Amino acid sequence: MLKRGSKARFILITLLLLSPGLLTFFLLFFYPMMVTLTRSLRPEGEQIGWTLEHYVTFLAEPRAREVILLTFVLSIGAVLCSVLLSIPLGLALRQKLRAHRFYRLTMITPRVVPGLIGALGLLLLFGSRGWVNLFLIRFVPFVNEPISINYTIPGLILFYTWLYFPFIALTTLAALEGLDPAIEEAADVAGANRWQVLRHVVIPLITPAILAGSVLTFMAAFGAFSIPLIAGGNHRPLSVEIYRQIDFTPARWSAASARAMIMAVLQVIFLTIYMRVLRRPIT
Amino acid sequence: MTLARKYLNAILRSRKLLIQTLLLCFALMIFTPFLMIVLRSVGRGWFGRLWLPPELTLDWYRWAVEVTNIVEITKNTLVIALLAVLMSTVIAIPTGWALGRRNIPGRELLMSILLLPRMIPPIAFALGVAQIFYRTDLINTHIGVALAHVSICAPFAILILSATFEALDERLLEASGVCGANPIRTFIHVVFPLILPGVLASMIFTFTTSYNEFTLTLMTYGKDTVTLPVRTYLAIGEGYWEVTSAMSILLIIPSIIVLFMIQRQVAPEKLVGGFKGV
Amino acid sequence: MPDYMIELRDVTKRYGDLVANDNVTLQIRRGELMTLLGPSGCGKTTALRCITGHNIPDEGRVFIDGEDVTDVPTYKRELGMVFQSFALFPHMTVFGNVEFPLMIRRMNKAERREWVMDALRMIRMEEYEDHYPRQISGGQQQRVGLARALVYRPKVLLLDEPLSNLDAKLREEMRFEIRDLIDRLGITAVYVTHDQAEALALSDRVAVRNAGHIEQVGMPDEIYDLPQTRFVADFIGLSEFLAGTLSAVHTEERTATVAVDGLEIHVPATPEMAPGRKVLFFIRPNDIELLPASQESGINVFVGVVEKKTYLGDRSDYRVRVSEGLELRVQTDGKVRFEEGENVKVHLPIPHCRVIVE
Repeated sequence: MLKRGSKARFILITLLLLSPGLLTFFLLFFYPMMVTLTRSLRPEGEQIGWTLEHYVTFLAEPRAREVILLTFVLSIGAVLCSVLLSIPLGLALRQKLRAHRFYRLTMITPRVVPGLIGALGLLLLFGSRGWVNLFLIRFVPFVNEPISINYTIPGLILFYTWLYFPFIALTTLAALEGLDPAIEEAADVAGANRWQVLRHVVIPLITPAILAGSVLTFMAAFGAFSIPLIAGGNHRPLSVEIYRQIDFTPARWSAASARAMIMAVLQVIFLTIYMRVLRRPIT
Repeated sequence: MTLARKYLNAILRSRKLLIQTLLLCFALMIFTPFLMIVLRSVGRGWFGRLWLPPELTLDWYRWAVEVTNIVEITKNTLVIALLAVLMSTVIAIPTGWALGRRNIPGRELLMSILLLPRMIPPIAFALGVAQIFYRTDLINTHIGVALAHVSICAPFAILILSATFEALDERLLEASGVCGANPIRTFIHVVFPLILPGVLASMIFTFTTSYNEFTLTLMTYGKDTVTLPVRTYLAIGEGYWEVTSAMSILLIIPSIIVLFMIQRQVAPEKLVGGFKGV
Repeated sequence: MPDYMIELRDVTKRYGDLVANDNVTLQIRRGELMTLLGPSGCGKTTALRCITGHNIPDEGRVFIDGEDVTDVPTYKRELGMVFQSFALFPHMTVFGNVEFPLMIRRMNKAERREWVMDALRMIRMEEYEDHYPRQISGGQQQRVGLARALVYRPKVLLLDEPLSNLDAKLREEMRFEIRDLIDRLGITAVYVTHDQAEALALSDRVAVRNAGHIEQVGMPDEIYDLPQTRFVADFIGLSEFLAGTLSAVHTEERTATVAVDGLEIHVPATPEMAPGRKVLFFIRPNDIELLPASQESGINVFVGVVEKKTYLGDRSDYRVRVSEGLELRVQTDGKVRFEEGENVKVHLPIPHCRVIVE
């Protein structure tokens, strides 16, 4: 048992150790969030007074629903595409074939280079003069004109997937590599063909990992800013909508702040629901 | 066409070949965008439906170096990234130690609160950070931009380090004490070597995050603190794609060097960081 | 109907430079339990995987029920298998696990339920149908594994070290349970293990393996009493090996004498024996009798001194020096007591003396 004096000392030291992290949290996150919140409730350009007009005017615009819907469509689309890409990729990579390490590095490349540069390359690749369109025109029947991919919603989802799939791919691969090979062999001996093993055994067992990875991909895609900023064209999700309020003079900080608060609340609500669903035993 | 058919038949016969082909397509999907940038940066007169630029040139690189102050920008980016690494590590070591090794009531809750900045879109609190920095004259300073980065780097550093410290075996510390080592010697000879990989992983992760960070930089930079991602963004806005491509290639070199330097020491997955934590 | 349920014919499997199975031929009769016994790395699991189809042999053919299945994928081979790691599906209940093979075979629901419950009754687990694998003990998990392997009445049951992950007491219980089940169903079974006691207790026949090939195939008592190679004798039980030379063959008494380090030891004769041949002589320590020094001399009785004694509870272990360069290890039951330094006589009963002609 600790004596009372040493117990007090223990608490004090713990608090001291925690203080840098807590201080960072309050000064660099909580305080800015409060500033954003206060700003969103002030009349534009004023330091006093309270108003809800920034929320009301934004939410009353028909554009608001469009912007919010677009943000969700892009992030959920990116999650779905990433899952569809990650499962075959994980299955291929766990075989440890030739150049295994190279492909593992390839998988994380989009997360290591600046996203903007990736987006630039994608714009060049999928542009009307890019290789993808040249390929389509040359080899695919009935395609004679460049197809527009850049600055469209499917194009954006493609770019998001390129940038944010590694989260899901990594958790999926880790889960696949953690599976006891005997479990699949058991299903195989029991008469399940390759597809049945995948459907009844492998996929159910890696689903928790896929869902965990998809939280990260969703968060990243929901808050994505650089990609839609340069590759979004007329499609502006919430983050770009916020930035546009302060990018032009006169900067509308209060309007931007109100939109930022709406975005933060939407993300927290969505994540909370998602976590609830995750916690529910899947089996 | 017969060659293509032969290859198709071979794929259908061999599963290995099929997988190799799929992986190759995947690698193409990841790397062709960069190849496009390289080609664009060295090509002249590349219009119409051509697979490759008709004429090669290094003019765009000359332009890129003359127009943008590449050295200055790289220096800014590195200084800011190193400052962010330093501050995040200094913050995360004590806090990570407390979270990992001390029995704190409500530890899970505390952890999720500290990780909250990673769950809110950065643009939301970047607005507040910018307004605070305008008031306190931190706008357009290296330390200011680095501080902004710390807001999202520190939580992950804490996450990684608390996991590292938690994994330390208490018995090893006791054994060292029994062997007659005082706490300082125990730290130097036992604790430090054991936590080094974790600390390194956290620093690398912080570095790449800061190096690539765009949103928070865009809200807090000034003419003296232009970083690599911001400069790329501005160049894209200016619309000279050839010059922008050349600039991107120059700016991406440091991150490729970092990647190659560390990929032998740290599992590549670590660079994406802490995905188990959320 | 073919005589053999399973036949490996000249099967060779290599991993790079390592030959895990070198030209192995093995025939398993209908309804028998054949054990592949050997140390880890001897290729017994590789041989089993050639039967399941998880390994494709580089050379040779595999037959099941007379049919060449070498190129038939695993899932079409109609086998049942029990794994060392149990390999139950963690996301399915006990019922779901046992039902899996029937579901894959598209049996209708009502019939499935009947078959599954039959299988669960067989292993006395019917009350656990709703439990998940993590909620039941290791022994119960392995019984469920057994039910899953047997539920669709496969032609062959394969068991890959099924008891290695269980504790000693449970292992013995399960051994009888498995033997009992196999007898009741009359199924052909292949059992892989490195535990010789398990192999001897369970099997109809045992194939002792060593480094890629089969050393000896035989019934458990043949393997135990008449090992044909030094490896088998060594692996099956404790043995002292003594190098010697055949000095004489006595045709009438059906014995031969072996000169080992100055001692003349009488052994049972076999046809290939001829004077002058080099042989390996061996006898199990617990087959040697230890007698008081006052005992009369006779055939295979030698004078010795107890050098070291180790008390093991139900028996004692002695090192007895019988000549200048020869020390014998002797195990006696607890009733016989000698002390270190005591003079004794050592009797090597002829029927227990074995010789391998080199």
